Amino acid sequence: MQTKILLDEAEMPKRWYNIQADLPRPLDPPLHPATGNAVIPDDLRHIFPMELIRQEMSRERYIDIPAEVRDILTLWRPSPLYRARRLEAALKTPAKIYYKWEGVSPPGSHKPNTAIPQAYYNREEGIERLATETGAGQWGSSLAFATGLFDMECTVYMVRSSYEQKPYRKSMMQVYGAECVPSPSPRTKSGRMMLDRDPDTPGSLGIAISEAVEDAASHENTNYALGSVLNHVCLHQTIIGQEAEKQLAAVEAYPDVVIGCVGGGSNFSGLSFPFAAGKMNGKHPDTDIIAVEPAACPTLTKGLYAYDYGDVAGLTPIMKMFTLGHDFVPPAIHAGGLRYHGASPLLSRLVHDDIIRSVAYYQNEVFEAAVSFARTEGIVVAPEAAHAVKATIDEALHCRKTGEAKVILFNNSGHGNFDFSSYEAYFAGGLVDYEYPVELIRESLSRLPVTG
Amino acid sequence: MTTIGLLINPIAGMGGAVGLSGTDGRVTEAIRRGAVPRAPVRATETLRLLADQGIRFLTPAGAMGATILDSVGITGYEIVSFPDESTTAADTREACKAFAAAGADLVLFCGGDGTARDVFDVVGRSVPVLGIPAGVKMYSAVFAVNPAAVAEVIAGFDPARLHDADLLDVDEEAYREGRLAVRLYGAARVPSLPGRVQGAKAVFEETDDERAKREIARFIAGVMIPETLYIIGAGSTTEAILTEIGLHGALLGVDLVMNGRMVAEGADERTILSHLEDAAAARIIVSPIGAQGFILGRGNQQISPAVVRRAGGPGRIVVVGTPAKLAATPALYVDSGDPVLDSSLGDSVAVVSGYGIAQRKQVIHSSLRSGSSAGARWGC
Repeated sequence: MQTKILLDEAEMPKRWYNIQADLPRPLDPPLHPATGNAVIPDDLRHIFPMELIRQEMSRERYIDIPAEVRDILTLWRPSPLYRARRLEAALKTPAKIYYKWEGVSPPGSHKPNTAIPQAYYNREEGIERLATETGAGQWGSSLAFATGLFDMECTVYMVRSSYEQKPYRKSMMQVYGAECVPSPSPRTKSGRMMLDRDPDTPGSLGIAISEAVEDAASHENTNYALGSVLNHVCLHQTIIGQEAEKQLAAVEAYPDVVIGCVGGGSNFSGLSFPFAAGKMNGKHPDTDIIAVEPAACPTLTKGLYAYDYGDVAGLTPIMKMFTLGHDFVPPAIHAGGLRYHGASPLLSRLVHDDIIRSVAYYQNEVFEAAVSFARTEGIVVAPEAAHAVKATIDEALHCRKTGEAKVILFNNSGHGNFDFSSYEAYFAGGLVDYEYPVELIRESLSRLPVTG
Repeated sequence: MTTIGLLINPIAGMGGAVGLSGTDGRVTEAIRRGAVPRAPVRATETLRLLADQGIRFLTPAGAMGATILDSVGITGYEIVSFPDESTTAADTREACKAFAAAGADLVLFCGGDGTARDVFDVVGRSVPVLGIPAGVKMYSAVFAVNPAAVAEVIAGFDPARLHDADLLDVDEEAYREGRLAVRLYGAARVPSLPGRVQGAKAVFEETDDERAKREIARFIAGVMIPETLYIIGAGSTTEAILTEIGLHGALLGVDLVMNGRMVAEGADERTILSHLEDAAAARIIVSPIGAQGFILGRGNQQISPAVVRRAGGPGRIVVVGTPAKLAATPALYVDSGDPVLDSSLGDSVAVVSGYGIAQRKQVIHSSLRSGSSAGARWGC
């Protein structure tokens, strides 16, 4: 029986799937932070290349992947689809568990799927440097890898707490030739403002985004790149779901359940959007699509569906999405990553429209699941991916009760080889089960920007 | 060089074991009844671990310090007082005055809750304290779990990294009747551990206690809504909330706040109930008290079952606590005297521990007996 289902390089998708084409109603437009009017392409030109702005707003169902991008993606793509037989056996479940393994990319996660095309389009339009933010470091190292391949410079604003906790991610960026700066930094107005207010702040993704956007906006040769949330980022990740669909078809299967973890939502969107399309067009109306979040930052589960800023300083467009409020700074010591106050507007819409549902888990149960996975399937997953593992195990155990032989597909978005301090803390009993005080915080959501 | 004021209450813990109501000046009688002098043993174990650390000791002559320093070979200490052979609380206070005057960085004492209060009466929050556990009752949060933990804390001692620890006053009479009735006596300053687990500290809270308190206060202040009566319990974390909104309250009592104004300070149960009559909505904000982390019933006794019910039930209770405090209390306890109310709190509670974040903590509905140990004491 087959464990790995592999595609030839020639079978790698040549187009990205754009779910905007299939939404029953178009997305609510992003709004300009200063005027409150719908953003027009010109508003974004000082930080993004035109082609990415076009993709951001496009409603074409498929968008071609440039040949130069596809050539680089073959360094690790198509990524393998695994059947997790040993996990199934350990769980004594009749369910069939499949997972897409994205940890095979050189930086170790799904992030280069979008870093490569983003760097490519920027270079095509004459940009010499990209500025970005990174939380745990997966995105920063991926963009560092991508810009290096295109002979571009790269400045990464890394959330300070991660900068101090994950020195190896920083080294990886250095190896790829990028500059990594702890955020908040004295380099930008937003950074200085945060440092004045609180010199000891651990930083947050929202603050780091403000810094990177400001850096890009204030340098002619520099653009900004975001590793999640935006429509074009989710678009680039759909290569994952399209591959998975082909791979499952090769063994005559289609998922009953599709699972992924959500921080900003890009890896989840990448796996699930092709299957969400099947759910919306009536071909597979019963697919259960589950977005998994940490209880410490349960944006989709406990947030409000409203217009909010993407960053702390209020420099980004205001987007309609699930949000915990842009001034929410999740605990830096939460080991599980996935710490962004908002979520992809596309994903948010699908959750709001009940195409996708969300669940939230505590840290300790997530690490427990990750350990079970490592001891059966061998891979030590990133804490982020461990959330998807936890939901998968729960679904598989539910199948054991009901006797259903469901096909469960989850996205194993990256390896945890830089996260052993978190595993160590889990074994030492030192992980705290954080949660979001939802009832109290509802009031703080009244501080969202006023629109319309 | 760290200067430590060392104080041993040589008779701590002896009275309880042999049924004496108090041991001050009754060492001979206690020993005659078979009591084992625990404090000198515990102090010796601890000081052996501190012998080669380059620490300058200040200490009273004789059994309250010098004798034990001599026995473990620590020399060069400075005698600050000359207590009589039958030592008393007054001797403890006199030594502590001398420690403070000589600029001690830390007072290390060996005793129980009573000794802790005597030390605190003199040094207050101006000098950090640390307890070597040796008493009968050690419900205060100033004790390390054992001598090795004391040595670890002192090795990593940084005067800039301190946190608050509750001192409790246990009702002696109730205690002998098998009931535990305690009240919050004060909040001493104790050294923080540099990192609780070696190698894994990267994912632990790095922020200090004062900062955590400010963040909790900033968050709670941000979610306070008008026309709601806030019943704010005892403790330094809840006190920080008052400070954040520009008020001063009673550290050891219950304060009532509405629309940003102090309605009643140090309120008793009856006052709280009468204000609840007029309030459209209410919230109760409490912090875990003492080494066990009582959230209802101990140190917050004015917040009675009637008050909780009148405020709208357990769902109206907001528990706040700093990460350092929560790390030291694996579970929280409720014992309001009303088992139905206690169990309606559920098995876990979300404790607000920072800005917009809470920790899930187990809740134990307990009626602790006097014979039980102090349980989860501060330490590693």
